[in-house]
Amino acid sequence: MRRKSPVSLSRRALLTGLAALPLATMFGGCRGSTSGRSARRPTLEVWAHAGQVGERSTLVRLADSFNSGRRSFAVRLTLLPEGAYNGQLQAAALAGRLPDVFEFDGPYTADYAWMGQLQALDELLPEELREDLLPSILAQGTYDNRLYAVGQYDSGLGLFARRDRLAAVGASVPTAPADAWTVAQFEDLLARVAAASAGKPPLDLKLNYRGEWFTYGFAPALWSAGGGLVSRDTRPLHAAGVLDGSKSISAMRHLQRWIASGRVDPNLDDAAFTAGRVAMSWVGHWEYPRYRQAVGKDLALLPLPDFGTGTRTGAGSWTWGIRAGCRHPEAAAEFLRHLLQTANVLAMSAANGAPPATRSAVARSPLYAPDGPLRLYIEQLARGYALPRPRTPAYPAVTSAFQQTFHAVRDGADVPETLQRAAALIDRDIADNRGYPHREAVRA
Amino acid sequence: MKRIAGESARTTLTDNATGWLMVLPALAGLVVFVAVPFVLALGMSLTHLRMGSPLGAQFVGFEQYLRLLHDTSFQRALINNALFALGVVPVQTLLALGLALALNRPLRGVAVFRTLFFMPVVFPMSLVAVVWILIYAPGPNGLLNSVLDTLTLHHWQPRDFLHDPRLALPAIMLTSIWQGAGFQMVILLAGLQGIPRERYEAAAVDGAGRWQRFLHVTLPGLRNPLIFVVIVTSILSFRVFDQVRIMTQGGPLDATTTVVYQAVQSAFDRAQAGRGAAMAVVFFVIVLAITLIQRRLLRSEREVR
Repeated sequence: MRRKSPVSLSRRALLTGLAALPLATMFGGCRGSTSGRSARRPTLEVWAHAGQVGERSTLVRLADSFNSGRRSFAVRLTLLPEGAYNGQLQAAALAGRLPDVFEFDGPYTADYAWMGQLQALDELLPEELREDLLPSILAQGTYDNRLYAVGQYDSGLGLFARRDRLAAVGASVPTAPADAWTVAQFEDLLARVAAASAGKPPLDLKLNYRGEWFTYGFAPALWSAGGGLVSRDTRPLHAAGVLDGSKSISAMRHLQRWIASGRVDPNLDDAAFTAGRVAMSWVGHWEYPRYRQAVGKDLALLPLPDFGTGTRTGAGSWTWGIRAGCRHPEAAAEFLRHLLQTANVLAMSAANGAPPATRSAVARSPLYAPDGPLRLYIEQLARGYALPRPRTPAYPAVTSAFQQTFHAVRDGADVPETLQRAAALIDRDIADNRGYPHREAVRA
Repeated sequence: MKRIAGESARTTLTDNATGWLMVLPALAGLVVFVAVPFVLALGMSLTHLRMGSPLGAQFVGFEQYLRLLHDTSFQRALINNALFALGVVPVQTLLALGLALALNRPLRGVAVFRTLFFMPVVFPMSLVAVVWILIYAPGPNGLLNSVLDTLTLHHWQPRDFLHDPRLALPAIMLTSIWQGAGFQMVILLAGLQGIPRERYEAAAVDGAGRWQRFLHVTLPGLRNPLIFVVIVTSILSFRVFDQVRIMTQGGPLDATTTVVYQAVQSAFDRAQAGRGAAMAVVFFVIVLAITLIQRRLLRSEREVR
């Protein structure tokens, strides 16, 4: 009996193994529901990333409400998993199969525009709508002086703090961007809070996050110091002297010192702040609901520390564009206008908690109106404290190099040397692409 | 005579045609998914091609390869790949052999144990990696740290395994061994059960002890499965990527970066298709060389028989 079983045992086990592995990868794209009538009208293909449940269902609802209006066009919304979303878009772009309207991550606007995948929206969206958008949304969507993308919401970055922990060490709590702590005050405060809690790390930098967070979250430290990732608005674009300049070096050294001296919780369980291990969390608006629930009224929102030239913060989020070859740009623009109607912007903001993209929605938002608990984000976004990440087609190389740099600095690498290497990597990418010339210059 | 010869020739011909027809799907797959992409990669690696660039592909000769030659991260990736293979292949094979031997006995509930040891193989690597991140958690409350603390009677200094340049690669190797050993175990188990019982009986009659029976009956009987296991493990260990991407992102300080990780990073994170293609070609050559060497081993085995 035993002699016969080995083949079947091994084969069965093998087959089970082989069959089970791909199952895990099969949580493929799911299609959002659309109204039945869409079949009879010309249909625009719309792709979006499948975000959190609330975000997803709101978007499906907005597409349905668009389709139920008396319009000559309908939209067919396809939701794709977030993890592979950017890759899928890139692949679709290469294959010439992009949908008419698609959502993408804000900092990639320049990339898609440079590749010629996007239509300029300046003529397609009415002026009063463009003027209603927050300056940070316009900045994010603009490349080469043309608007290519508009988002329904922006993002906010700052420090969440537990008031009682700060009060216990006698710290004043800044509420306006202009009153931000200097980095020296901040470091002094970190030391005092740590001393008050037996030396436990008082700060959370979301070191458990991955990828884009590190550029989004910590480029502002470099900007605040007077440095940055690449030269801003000056051609030719370059990173040498900016990313590895003395100001960027000093900002990165501060971050390295905090981590090396045990001031930062590694936060593997993502509960450093909610469980009360740390007094402050350096993070975006998306944590507000969870933090508010954990901390209650004791929760404070503060601007990031000032590294030398005033506090700076990140901006940008998911955004919408129209494919260059879309045959019905007016219809596509109508869908974007639909998304940007005040009620719809508010619905999305209520679903995902993000800062609404239009001033008229901000004014009516319970979280972001002048007396709302997250008003600081709007102050930052509307008053020039928030900067877009570098608006260049070199962005993929820039963000990848900076993320790597951050990890290396976290692990104790020599800061100037690491930044120099990153700057050289970025500049070589720029040189390989002949300085990313304007599209017109390419064609000529 | 003539008629028969003609018939047999025709049979051979139809046999050949049938043979080719049956090989065709596999061959088409190989051509479409291996040969064509490889030729394309070879072409791309001679350019600065950026994905979707309006600039098109500019021929730069062997520039990408020259850069790789001088790229310290890439050198580190090659070394890490070699270290990983040298560590994982023997340890994982021995562990699998041990497990197979242990589970090849008529124990009660042996199927349960076999399933348990095989289970990690069925889990996606991404899941395994996330679980092991928690196991390697830094600080005295980390799972592994607190276990080691107890085992060493509180003499253990808590480590941050995945951010320690000396421990990160071994940590990833341990995860990989844990995840992969079940697969090899099943193959070796099948091999063990294929060894005729009479050989053991004959060896016992000749007065061979347990160790001698293992050395002179079990091991020779397992030769083919062992070679297969070693080949597959080496190829898989050169392809190591998921663990690195999820657990360390190549860090700390390139201590865990690998060739595939670097290639994916170049091609997909930075859109540098040319550079990524050059890495893929280098990787292909290395894996091809290893496979060829191991194929020779296989062939000599067939000659022995």
